[in-house]
Amino acid sequence: MPALSINNLNAGYEGNRVLSDINLSIVPGQICGLIGPNGSGKSTLLRSILQLGVEVSGEILICDRMLSSLSDNQKARMVSYLPQNFNPLSRLTVAETVLLGRHPYRSGWSQDSGQDLETAEKCMLETDTWDLRNRVFSNLSGGEKRLVLLASALAQEPDLLLLDEPGSSLDFKHQLNMWLLLRKLSLRGISVLVSTHEVALSGRFLDSVLVLSEGKSRAFGSPTDVFTTSILSEVFDVHLHVSQDEETRSWVIVPEMEQ
Amino acid sequence: MKNGIASRPSSVFWILLVLSVILVGALSLFVGPMEHPPEWVVMKLRLPRLVLALLTGSALSVSGCVLQSILRNDLATPYTLGISAGAGLVAGSVIVSGFIMPVMGLVAAGTAGALLAVILVYVLASRGRRVEYGSTLLLAGITMNLVGASILLLFEYFSDASRILEIVRWMMGDMAVIGWSKPLFLVPAVILGMLAVLSRTGVMNQISQGDDIARTRGVSVKMERNLLLASAALLAGSTVGAVGPVGFIGLMVPHIMRRFVGADYRYLVPASALGGMLLVILADSLSRVIISPAELPIGIVMSLIGGPFFLVLLLRAGGKKKR
Repeated sequence: MPALSINNLNAGYEGNRVLSDINLSIVPGQICGLIGPNGSGKSTLLRSILQLGVEVSGEILICDRMLSSLSDNQKARMVSYLPQNFNPLSRLTVAETVLLGRHPYRSGWSQDSGQDLETAEKCMLETDTWDLRNRVFSNLSGGEKRLVLLASALAQEPDLLLLDEPGSSLDFKHQLNMWLLLRKLSLRGISVLVSTHEVALSGRFLDSVLVLSEGKSRAFGSPTDVFTTSILSEVFDVHLHVSQDEETRSWVIVPEMEQ
Repeated sequence: MKNGIASRPSSVFWILLVLSVILVGALSLFVGPMEHPPEWVVMKLRLPRLVLALLTGSALSVSGCVLQSILRNDLATPYTLGISAGAGLVAGSVIVSGFIMPVMGLVAAGTAGALLAVILVYVLASRGRRVEYGSTLLLAGITMNLVGASILLLFEYFSDASRILEIVRWMMGDMAVIGWSKPLFLVPAVILGMLAVLSRTGVMNQISQGDDIARTRGVSVKMERNLLLASAALLAGSTVGAVGPVGFIGLMVPHIMRRFVGADYRYLVPASALGGMLLVILADSLSRVIISPAELPIGIVMSLIGGPFFLVLLLRAGGKKKR
């Protein structure tokens, strides 16, 4: 039973079609990457799954259930999201922010339960944000804010985690830690769909990659299948030299400067 | 671990806050000149006035919290979206028209005006093709305030001196009451609005994080935002109709309370309600004392305290950004 399956998806905004004929399936515990140039429809694909103001035709199933048959609250317990847009000026503390991820498990006004606090603590420890817990969100650096929001997305205890360029504004160490964390989550059975520009680094962690170009699926497969000089050069419209380091198995993708 | 993770305001804080509201409220009954038999003054003038102050303070502060969460801006007030301009316009034109309306009329007119203004601003904002929802709403609100004020001036221009005086007096904020009719008409509106907001404080927290995040946590952002806006308009509109557009309460009180209870609306809203009561009782008592035996309009007192406060707030916020 796939955690996410998308069949013949067309999506867009107000008649402008952004995505055409997308098919995708992610089994539990798999990390799938979305790769493509700016404006290729990566964010729109994530937003279609979340029903965030995108007009959609086609079929989207989460854990074998039609998206349209799920209530907002049911959906919130299955899917969580790390967006690119959030309020950076929030005056809540980090701990309070992470605890907000427990919303789908609450009814109306309620205090944070013992289980809420436990989950939040676990998620902060995992994301390396425990030491920030009493800091005010608006005073954090851009990278720290992302990690805190990732912690709050984890506090939602999702089956499927959607991340929109989580690595942007993270430094080397935190980027690596984030990918290691995604790997750890996947071992726990959480499925991950992540859009990213860190093509080379992500290659070591992704189980599958969907390459998008102008709203169409250009290639799908494991990084070894997809990360080729011809595919990536064509999609990104620069001449890229793609190779894999023999020793570390990490990917090296460099643009060739002379045309 | 429980202490280590999320800090909640202590019960001592709540007890102190409630006690000071009770204490200051009781004292305020005896502040000011007592020309008539004290018993009559306390029962017919001071006690209803105290209730009016409690309602005004809590309604405007809570309305401020709501606007600050929706607009994701700590500097928003109930008047940012033209709520006071709408209430002022309708209540003001009622005064100008010379209808001898019972007090209830002014409260109802104020509420209707505020709701109309919010609906108008909201419709204008959702027509706009802007990505940033908050800024469109803000711009529409500012326009509303300016246009509303000029129309009110236009009415004044064409009416006679005694009516103008009445409007101007109302604009200055007037807490003076004789008898119970004014506070009693305000009670249901304020209680209804307050309950609506208190039940949505968790949602306010979510909305303050950003629309996308709130949506993916199962919050129907659009519906909740409309409900919150309507409640804020009810709270602020009915109050403005009753006592006039008293400024700065909705800005000052949530800001001060944030220092004590943090930004979590589950605690900030009740704390602001209590803090608003305290502030308005204090300001009202002050307005009776400064030039005793005459009294100053509370709107003037509040603006004289609030203006400098707002400036300090702005300057400090500006200083922080540079860092």
